[in-house]
Amino acid sequence: MSSMATDLQTRARQVLVLRFTGAERVAHWVHFVAFTVLLGTGLFIYAPFLKAFAVGEAGIATRLAHRVAAIAFIAAPVFYLVFSPRDFFYSLKESFTWGKDDWGWLQNAWNYYAHGKAGTMPPQGKYNAGQKFNALTQIITFGLFVITGFVMWFGKGSVSPDVFMWSVVIHDLSVIATVLLFMLHLYLVAVHPLMRESITAMFEGTVTEEFAKEHHGKWLAEKVYRKRDK
Amino acid sequence: MAKAMFIDTSICIGCKGCQVACKEWWNLAPTKTTQVGTYENPLDLNADNYTRIRFNEYEASGKVRWLFLKWGCLQCTNAACVDVCPTAALKKNEIGFVSLERDLCNGCGYCSQACPFNIPRMETINEFTGEAKATKCTFCQDRVTNDLTPACVKTCPSAALGFTDRDKVLATAKTRVENLKQLGYTEARVYGETELGGLGRVYVLTAPASAYGLPEKPEYPALTNLWQNIVQPFGYVAAGLTAAGLALNWFATRRAQLGNVETIKPEK
Repeated sequence: MSSMATDLQTRARQVLVLRFTGAERVAHWVHFVAFTVLLGTGLFIYAPFLKAFAVGEAGIATRLAHRVAAIAFIAAPVFYLVFSPRDFFYSLKESFTWGKDDWGWLQNAWNYYAHGKAGTMPPQGKYNAGQKFNALTQIITFGLFVITGFVMWFGKGSVSPDVFMWSVVIHDLSVIATVLLFMLHLYLVAVHPLMRESITAMFEGTVTEEFAKEHHGKWLAEKVYRKRDK
Repeated sequence: MAKAMFIDTSICIGCKGCQVACKEWWNLAPTKTTQVGTYENPLDLNADNYTRIRFNEYEASGKVRWLFLKWGCLQCTNAACVDVCPTAALKKNEIGFVSLERDLCNGCGYCSQACPFNIPRMETINEFTGEAKATKCTFCQDRVTNDLTPACVKTCPSAALGFTDRDKVLATAKTRVENLKQLGYTEARVYGETELGGLGRVYVLTAPASAYGLPEKPEYPALTNLWQNIVQPFGYVAAGLTAAGLALNWFATRRAQLGNVETIKPEK
């Protein structure tokens, strides 16, 4: 038995769900690149084995790259706010709204993400509890990064040494918090055997209807279908 | 063997010859100042002034005395600046001073914030890019590592300054304090013997440290330890545990996934 190639037009129509607007995706990737550069250049001063890059002229170049990336890091959410304000505020609101479905996600997370067992996993909104936690951490550490970063950039001599030194400590703690989540985030979208499809939402903006049903059922019912069926 | 700078404030005449010698040896630019009613000049250390004489008026038993304090890097044994320096531009030298390698400095300025005496000053080349270099007294590192004395010591006309083995400096300082006490300076004391593990500058003071504007008990900044010995190692451990957890998750998930997969292989 052999199978013939078919015309695209004759195949079953694929249904895609828009998850992220163009502006959201641009903001995300600017944030991603800025964060990666900031992490890389920051590690030069954090990790003794990278010390060679922190020394002298190389160190000055590293510190300049860190500052340029810092500006992009600050620009990303501003871009998001300006070009996609409704989604910006919707995402912000969602991140701060926690209910029993989030608790249900936490209870079922290990079985779901390690064994593929749905159990009593409740349907999730546009962002599941893990994504909300990631967003919350990003929002809080963003503020901490920017404030302590500016203190270290421009505050030397005008703030007390204690404030300066605390800024270094808080900057470091924020790095640790975000790096752990960054590892988890990268793993889930690029390595995890069952979750890799989620990354298409950030590249193309869309996911398949099946994926949306499986992973964001509540959002699909309340925000996508209801609007479509109106 | 560790050496130290002997500074006898009872002999210092406040001539500022040491400031001039320092500027000449290091070829430092003059700092424009304005007269504000004191002989102190300049009023603070800066990137072009590694040393200066501080003038303090001190009143005791109805008499006002003028106290001169030759100021500059105190070359701590437990040097916080050395511990926070991410590039090892600052290092503790066995001769008993904190050396500074300008080429290695990347201008981060952590030393200037960690110093309990507020000594290192940043030569800011560009505020926006952050290009800068740390500056401070190194006891003329190029001189003392070649068996010469620091330029300021060499020039001092009243022999208030000396530079030799630390043991000898301490012995001389203690003898001098005894003499001063006999002369009626009951508050005379040595400063620098034990502070921060022992300072490279050993002062003979004729009044309490506070009268000179010196901290009675200078402290190593606690945050230095928090950041380098606790926060940063914690980061490595946390990242390692996270990586291990993710690897564990991958194997578990892969196993579950393969349990529900059938792979057809082509003919050989």
